[in-house]
Amino acid sequence: MAELHNFGVKPIPCHAWNQDRTQLALSPNNNDVNIYQKQATGWKLMHTLSEHTLQITGIDWAPKTNRIVTCGADRNAYVWQLNDGEWQQELVILRINRAATCVKWSPEEDKFAVGSSSRMISVCYFESENNWWVSKHIKKPLRSTVLSIDWHPNNILLVAGCCDYKAYIFSAYIKEINNKPGPTVWGKKMTFGYLMQEFSMPCYGWVHGVSFSKSGDRLAMVSHGSEVCVATGGSELVTLRTPHLPFLDCLWLTENSFVAAGHDCNPMLYTVDDACSSVTFCCKLDQASKGAGSGRAVSAMNMFKMMDKKGSVATGDNEPQTKHKNAILQVLKYSDDKFSTSGSDGNVIVWNVKSLESSIEEMKIV
Amino acid sequence: MSSTLKPYLNAVRTTLDAAMCLGNFNSQVVERHIKPEVEVKTSKELLLTPAVIARNEKEKVLIEASYNSIRVSIAVKQADEIEEILCQKFMRFMMMRAENFVILRRKPMKGYDISFLITNFHTEQMLKNKLVDFVIHFMEEIDKEISEMKLSVNARARIVAEEFLKRF
Repeated sequence: MAELHNFGVKPIPCHAWNQDRTQLALSPNNNDVNIYQKQATGWKLMHTLSEHTLQITGIDWAPKTNRIVTCGADRNAYVWQLNDGEWQQELVILRINRAATCVKWSPEEDKFAVGSSSRMISVCYFESENNWWVSKHIKKPLRSTVLSIDWHPNNILLVAGCCDYKAYIFSAYIKEINNKPGPTVWGKKMTFGYLMQEFSMPCYGWVHGVSFSKSGDRLAMVSHGSEVCVATGGSELVTLRTPHLPFLDCLWLTENSFVAAGHDCNPMLYTVDDACSSVTFCCKLDQASKGAGSGRAVSAMNMFKMMDKKGSVATGDNEPQTKHKNAILQVLKYSDDKFSTSGSDGNVIVWNVKSLESSIEEMKIV
Repeated sequence: MSSTLKPYLNAVRTTLDAAMCLGNFNSQVVERHIKPEVEVKTSKELLLTPAVIARNEKEKVLIEASYNSIRVSIAVKQADEIEEILCQKFMRFMMMRAENFVILRRKPMKGYDISFLITNFHTEQMLKNKLVDFVIHFMEEIDKEISEMKLSVNARARIVAEEFLKRF
């Protein structure tokens, strides 16, 4: 149902899988990237990529070309290639003067976008004449730190969630390397840096996570106002105010359902109707097993034991019952019916949607 | 009197639960730096609306939150002069040892007696629900401690006065 992999006690703000999911690259909240290989009895540390001088804030692994891009608080990004069993880095000149916050390869893996604290997005592509990575900036109208980025499947559009309470859809069409794209639901004109559409969060919350659906026609956003918002091209934002703590990331599972996870330490499933006019909460995906009833009698004894040993009056079981013991920081697609989450507790958990669906009654993927 | 205590503490607890959703944030203003945004207040969009939860005019809690840090300031009940002096000395004792306390602020905010500064680094190292439990527990215990100290001050004063007046 859910496989828990522990990598220590430090938070894991970013992680990335390779193409066949046998290797995992993650950063334990420091300047290095650790690459682990899956073994029969656990994970073995294969490589440590140390080039960044400050904390690493984003990692993405391009499955087809097998390249890793990392970005950090030291304003740099590196593209790593595997040569003769060793990972070699290439510096990318981002030309940003504050920390980078997030990075994502485009679907065709010919370019990647880096969000930064300097209120701009750097879209980088490889210029073969000079043999280096070149960056182009998207600045207007971003007015604060870019928190999250996601690419549209057409390899041209990208969405950015920002601290100025808005989510923006930009075109990242680079005429040197991309073919002219056809029109999408988000608009027709696609010059580089053109703002296709902009969404303002009703609750003035920082937009922590954004995600395009598989077709690219739908966009999900989660913000700090405990809201979950969905939009489709040209239409108004559809929001749902949730009674939970804010979410930090979201991911579409199918065209009509997506999962959001965050400070509640629990991934939650939301469904959208066909016309994209309403979002409804479906269920929590991390439900503690019902066998806790037998713990009742034991806990009375425990209570007196606690009073005797530690002098504390038991205030009830405050340990989080979820698999993640601290906030979930990132949700990634693992396979067609699995997704992985990494959290502040040092755990990476792979959730199997099919087996969850069979075990939780109210859950239904539409 | 104590019938207002439970709802007061519950309100503070739920507000802290919501406000303590912190994450790492590199400064937008100074490169390569991380600053607690609630202290520097350079970027208005990173600050949340401050909330005051007041039991009465004298006892209140101010919670100011931002992206990566939260400041909780507590105004403790001080009914008379003795309690004021005891409270001030007790808080000063703790604030001088703020480094060992980890989440304590060395100076309280204006109008309050003691302040906590909790950053995302603290919520990464410690469990968030335990931090909230601690602040609530602290608020409950402070009142008890000060009453106890006041009683013992009065008891000692009585004993001293008795001994002194025995000479006459």
